[in-house]
Amino acid sequence: MSEEERKQSAVRFGMVIDLDKCSGCMACSVACQAENNISFRPDETNKLRSITWMEVFYLQNGKDYGEYQYTYLPRPCMHCDAPHHAPCTFVCPVNATTRNEENGIVEHIYPRCIGCRYCIVACPYHARDFNWWDPSWPKSMESMLNPEVSTRMRGVVEKCTFCHHRLLNARAKAYLEETDPDKATYLPACAEACPTKAISFGNLNDPESEVAALIKDPRAFRLLSKLHTEPKVYYLSKHDWVRKQADKGF
Amino acid sequence: NWSWRPSPERGPITKKATICTLCEGGCGIRARLVNGNRAVLLEGNPEHPINRGGICPLAASGLQFLYAPYRITQPIKQTQKRGEASGFKPIPWDEAMSELLDKLVNLRTGGTPHAVACITGQGQGSMRDLWQQFFDAYGSPNFFQMPSHSDSLKLAAFLTLGKEEPLAFALEKASYILSFGSDLIGGWGSPGRMLALWGDWNAAQSENKTPSAKIIQIESRCSMSAAKADRWIPIIPGSEAALALGIAHVMVKENLYDTSYVATNVFGFEDWTDSQGKARQGFKSFLLASENSLEEASRRTGLEPAKIVELAKDFATQPNAVAVWGKSRDLPEKVHHELAFLALNVLKGNLKSQGMISLAPSVPLGPMPQVLADEVAQQGLARKSLDQVKAQDIPLSRKSLYGFLKNLSEAPSYPIEVLMIHEANPAYSLPGNQVFQKAIQKVGWVVSFSSYMDETSLQADIILPNHTAFERYDDVIGVPGLPQAYYAVAAPILPPQWNTRHSGDVLLQMSKNMGGSVADALPWKSYDAFLQDRVKGLAASGRGAVAQTSARQLQETPEGASPKANYKDGADLWKKLASGQCWYDAPQNPLQLVQSPSGKIELAFQSLQSKELEAGKDEQCLPNFSSIALSGNEKEYPLTLVSYQALFLSHGYLPNPPFMTKTLWDFILRNDDSFVELHPETARSLGLDEGNRAVLKTPAGECIVRVHLFPGARLDVIYMPQGLGHKAYDQYIQSKGANPNELLEVQMDPVSGLGTAWAARAQLRRA
Repeated sequence: MSEEERKQSAVRFGMVIDLDKCSGCMACSVACQAENNISFRPDETNKLRSITWMEVFYLQNGKDYGEYQYTYLPRPCMHCDAPHHAPCTFVCPVNATTRNEENGIVEHIYPRCIGCRYCIVACPYHARDFNWWDPSWPKSMESMLNPEVSTRMRGVVEKCTFCHHRLLNARAKAYLEETDPDKATYLPACAEACPTKAISFGNLNDPESEVAALIKDPRAFRLLSKLHTEPKVYYLSKHDWVRKQADKGF
Repeated sequence: NWSWRPSPERGPITKKATICTLCEGGCGIRARLVNGNRAVLLEGNPEHPINRGGICPLAASGLQFLYAPYRITQPIKQTQKRGEASGFKPIPWDEAMSELLDKLVNLRTGGTPHAVACITGQGQGSMRDLWQQFFDAYGSPNFFQMPSHSDSLKLAAFLTLGKEEPLAFALEKASYILSFGSDLIGGWGSPGRMLALWGDWNAAQSENKTPSAKIIQIESRCSMSAAKADRWIPIIPGSEAALALGIAHVMVKENLYDTSYVATNVFGFEDWTDSQGKARQGFKSFLLASENSLEEASRRTGLEPAKIVELAKDFATQPNAVAVWGKSRDLPEKVHHELAFLALNVLKGNLKSQGMISLAPSVPLGPMPQVLADEVAQQGLARKSLDQVKAQDIPLSRKSLYGFLKNLSEAPSYPIEVLMIHEANPAYSLPGNQVFQKAIQKVGWVVSFSSYMDETSLQADIILPNHTAFERYDDVIGVPGLPQAYYAVAAPILPPQWNTRHSGDVLLQMSKNMGGSVADALPWKSYDAFLQDRVKGLAASGRGAVAQTSARQLQETPEGASPKANYKDGADLWKKLASGQCWYDAPQNPLQLVQSPSGKIELAFQSLQSKELEAGKDEQCLPNFSSIALSGNEKEYPLTLVSYQALFLSHGYLPNPPFMTKTLWDFILRNDDSFVELHPETARSLGLDEGNRAVLKTPAGECIVRVHLFPGARLDVIYMPQGLGHKAYDQYIQSKGANPNELLEVQMDPVSGLGTAWAARAQLRRA
């Protein structure tokens, strides 16, 4: 698809994470695991092998005791909106990962995925994880699995979907209620869980939405914006030292 | 398709609202159910006024406790030596209950009901009250709760106001918060309330709408609250109360305190004369004395005098400034230190009508039937509880679990034949838990009511497993730190998954079978019926209302403006509460509640009589600071170990669930090693670098840790998180890291006899 061909839909879902509100409690990451059937193993301390859709980064100001400051930075998939392609969709040889131009969500279709991991290499945000093992849960905890999200299999890549199954539910509800499905909104599990309301979510193209207002905040920034990947995840921070690190790479 | 991969069963999805009882915070939650019989997610209830839709990581992981592989699915009995994990064999409920009943009946027949003891981890609910009722009727004084900060907080309120009730803080209207080591966003008070408030404060900042609270965080470690506060004031660990007195000193010296408030409402600010006509020192001259000079405060806290003066001026001039304190919800502090923090608030005039601090109002639940103790019970209750046996010199001696375990482990004046442990894991979570290990050796028979095979259950002779928090009725009486009255009922989201029984039902059944005055004191058919009875009483009081929405109606209800009852009767109120709503009532005016000897707020405590006081040490009845004298040789142990808690790591009765363990940084846990935090310079002086393994040793014990370099650590202090180092449960939990509770030193507070513990002298050397 060339730049000219691409038609901007009226719906571009995006997220704004206010790091001044974030208390680093990790509820977003936990809620994501529960919602999306993310498997876990007895030892998850090798972070290169651990599957985490909502990963949290640690940023610090480089100062010494007394002036030291740090913040946690929750990192879902950025759902890059670069005109031509997202970095991951560009490299996928089998169209397993594509951007849904109806709503801007970058999807990953597991049965198509051949596990080549080009997308993992391409993603500058480390937002993609590989299933090195068959997913497994303690037997009794299989009861907790969410039927709305399929479990994955060994050998495929997975990542944050902005909980798009919740979008499908919201659209189905809109059909039933005979309202405009394109106006349907929803909250991903992380935004819903956040106890400080640091995570906002909505249609960036809707000028009335909370996210559209927040991205105009002077504190707003995006990660690695110099790469022109056009992330649809924005951050807010009042600290220069946080904003400055956004272009440094992680 | 892939048969080796679980495919969750599909079905209609419904939601059920209830209240979370994993901690005392009183948050509203909703469970998402598939086919009505499988719970797949817990989320915050957006209509609940405490957490307003948010959820903490522990509650978000809550179903991992319901579906935990380490659950005890039926009663089991130890057939080998106590502590032998493989020795547990299933036993039918009837048999298990009659075994316990026989023991309890025999002890009463033998005239030694006081040989029965209980430790419960339920601090605030009706289950605690039911245990108390049982022990009063059965005839034993040995009923204990796991330690809580409210134990010492209540004593500060008692000495200052004459009412032994927990203090509450109107943080919703604060504009300036001096936090003395309270990790406000890390689990202080009710996490749901505090995190929602934190979001508000920062929203106001960005939208420039309402004035936002300025937060000054005072503590030695750069906690998340310190890193996110408007200002972090780093001080010597354990010197928070010294700083409070330093600030008080400046306020008094420079006349920055609320003079008219103090003149009208406070006793003991000026020098006074006691009932024997003896001249006594008041708080003012105590603060102005040389031992409390600004220089002294500076020396104790490691802060420059100018900084203390600046803090005092800021605190004194801000309109809604409040000082909060308390390191942890589950640890008492020195009573004299509690009093120093409270005194600082008194100088600011914070305890008044519509003020920043009040007493948590009680909830007018239906009363318990009066216990008509029979002769055996009277004799048992006449005995001193085991913690009090050596407590003559403690002026305000209160029930102390440490005291109990210590006396029991040494030479108890009478034996404990039956120890019942309910929803508590002292073998792991009690600082200085070695004392529990020693004490339990002296107990004849140990009963656990835990639903999990935890460290304490492993030590039991018999386990009568409770339902988990999501399979049973429970209630929450009051929210820690909340000025409004609060009551909520947690209804089950699913029927019991296993052959477990509600401990309340077990207790009621036991009482019924015992007959006589015990049965009369606990007349309910079931625990549910007991709760309904209490709610009926609440409805009969006609007070308070059911909070309808997440609108801030609960937290913005002003004092004296009791909401109009919006429930018809007891049954209606029960229905509303069982559907996840909560009851609330207005805060109280602390000045109208004062019952101290002087009838005023006391800064010189007339209720505190002790030998030292008689010997003329007036400072003993004033708020004062004493630095902790940690045991051990300074040369051998040149460093200080300080433990800390965080919201992302569960540290109490509940182990850290796999979801949360997955989110831990690889500088907190790596494989089976947990980390301690060290300042890079301290590490260098010890020849240690990032990730190095080291032996951490304190006078209490030693363990292997790894080193994480953390510029937010004070020089020569080692910081260690609570919540790792379990020896029980399953492969997802056990043998991960080290438990600081095995290393900490427990000290008895000389005023209350409560155990305080957060530090120890330590050494660290390369492993």
